[in-house]
Amino acid sequence: MKILIIEDEKEIARDIVKYLSGQNYVCEVAETYDQAVNKITIFQYDCILLDLLLPDGSGLALLELIKREKRQDGVIIISAKNSIEEMVNGLEIGADDYLAKPFHHSELSARIHSVIRRKQFNSSNIIELNEIMIDLLGKAVKVNNIEVSLTKKELDLLLFFIGNKNRVISKSALAEHLSGDIADMFDNHDFVYAHVKNLKKKLTEAGYENHIKTIYGTGYKWEL
Amino acid sequence: MSKLLNKPFKAFSIYALIILACSIPVYHLVVDFIWLNELDEHNQIIEKRIVNSFNNAHIEGNELNGLLKNWDKLQPSTILTPSNLSIPKPDTIYTIIKQNRYIDHNEIDRFRVLSSIIIINGKLYHLQIETNIEEADETMLAIAVVTLLFFVLMVIGFIILNRRIAIQIWRPFRSTLEKLRLFDLTKQQNVLFDKTDIEEFEELNQSLKKLIDKNISVYNQQKMFIENASHELQTPLSVLRSKVDLLLQNRDLTKEQSEIINAIELPLSRVSRINKNLLLLAKIENKQFSEVEHIELTDVINETLDLFIDYVTEKQISTDKNLSEKIALSCNKTLIEILISNLLINSIIHNEVKGKVYIDFSDRKLTVSNSGKKALESKKIFERFIVSSSETASSGLGLAIVKEICYRYQWQITYTFQNNLHSFSVQF
Repeated sequence: MKILIIEDEKEIARDIVKYLSGQNYVCEVAETYDQAVNKITIFQYDCILLDLLLPDGSGLALLELIKREKRQDGVIIISAKNSIEEMVNGLEIGADDYLAKPFHHSELSARIHSVIRRKQFNSSNIIELNEIMIDLLGKAVKVNNIEVSLTKKELDLLLFFIGNKNRVISKSALAEHLSGDIADMFDNHDFVYAHVKNLKKKLTEAGYENHIKTIYGTGYKWEL
Repeated sequence: MSKLLNKPFKAFSIYALIILACSIPVYHLVVDFIWLNELDEHNQIIEKRIVNSFNNAHIEGNELNGLLKNWDKLQPSTILTPSNLSIPKPDTIYTIIKQNRYIDHNEIDRFRVLSSIIIINGKLYHLQIETNIEEADETMLAIAVVTLLFFVLMVIGFIILNRRIAIQIWRPFRSTLEKLRLFDLTKQQNVLFDKTDIEEFEELNQSLKKLIDKNISVYNQQKMFIENASHELQTPLSVLRSKVDLLLQNRDLTKEQSEIINAIELPLSRVSRINKNLLLLAKIENKQFSEVEHIELTDVINETLDLFIDYVTEKQISTDKNLSEKIALSCNKTLIEILISNLLINSIIHNEVKGKVYIDFSDRKLTVSNSGKKALESKKIFERFIVSSSETASSGLGLAIVKEICYRYQWQITYTFQNNLHSFSVQF
């Protein structure tokens, strides 16, 4: 799947590429408005990551361009915290999601996963992965056709893991994903452990092979 | 404290009192002197009249003797007796004090006396004329009374004038004072002093204007600095976080390395939290978040509390809500959410393990209380970076943000400590 990263900060763009490349994404980077316009008009992407502050133009103008061309590319705005109003503007213009900097790569990856899924399986809303089947609309999870009842947070975690296959996810990234912005107000994220433990237990009890690996107390990894 | 105008007023009054008091004996001396002069003249006129009358009447011998015998009855205040002197001597003038014969009650009166030798029909006669004169103490008393009366009039006049002057002349000063009192550096409004034609006040206004302008510009610079600094920090922080994330993906990480990365994450998220809050503060101060909506406060409280549920259970905190009131507030949604969540975060972070959180909303007053051992310094807690305890790594800006939001909407925020409960109340 192809992803375009429109970001003028080289380091950040490079790191995103590195993180995503481990997950079978093909990434391209545009550092300026002009480069971005060139790439968008020529190529088709599954998802575009859009920084609103570009040295030679506004990201919102790019977004308007994408929407004017009636393109199907998913768009996730990634921008600094202080431009929440602009992000909201972006959502109104037609962005699929937004993420405030600084963000965890795992969060970004989960969002990309979810945007692409929505674009591709517009009608079905069902994710299948080995023996597991997740019905997003019905919020139901089945392992080998046996229903597993998960809490909302456990389901969130499961989707987050699936969006970050084979990547180490830090505990704080999980906490932020579960509690939103407020997570970074707290230093102790031990509750994540309890949720992950419950999720693991429920899945293995249903006969699903355990893919969740604990990494030295730092975080977790969904290994396939 | 006494008013400025009262100081010279007191001095003036005392000075006037001294001068007027000194004037009493002086007046008395002058009046007495005039009196005596006038009476001496008067006595001399009488003497001349008597001498002239005798000379014109040509009264002789027995007739004169008879007249002299009855003189006392005819002219009561004069005495005319034959003199045994051979040559006339000069007139003498003196004052005597004696019983007044012509007044019923016993009273000592002062008399001015002219004693003179006159010649009638070639013979010498002794003529003594007495005229009653006002006593010294009576004059003194009269003058004192009049002076006192005038002094009282003067003081009353001073008071009235003082008040008028105070109101009129000090008007520009008062207006300046009022403007200074209302001035608020954080509000960014310029102060315009009224023009005045009094040099001192104009000078004062000019100096104040200079001072205020300078303060505003320093304040703005400082604000700008904080804003720019936190802006500039955002990108390096993003890069840092992204590097840490990538480092975690390294398959060859040892346990030790992994722990170091973990240790980096904590201070990193603290720095980004501080940065985030500084930017937020700057934005609130810059009057952003201006859209106003009707917001049901109890909904916001419930939603926010749901977000915190993991942290509440983790610390085994019991919560108790009393949200009987249904009131919609007109304010910015983001700001009210920040206000509520900062208060709640505060009550969780600074709570004890197995502590309590009470949330009460009644009479348009929201109170969030949590267990605690010691009262905090209520004056300082709303200031930036006043962290009450070292055990938590809070940003030290949460309450400053709460205060700033309350300030924006003119809500009253108060802190109390009672029955081992820290309580923060916002009166909407």
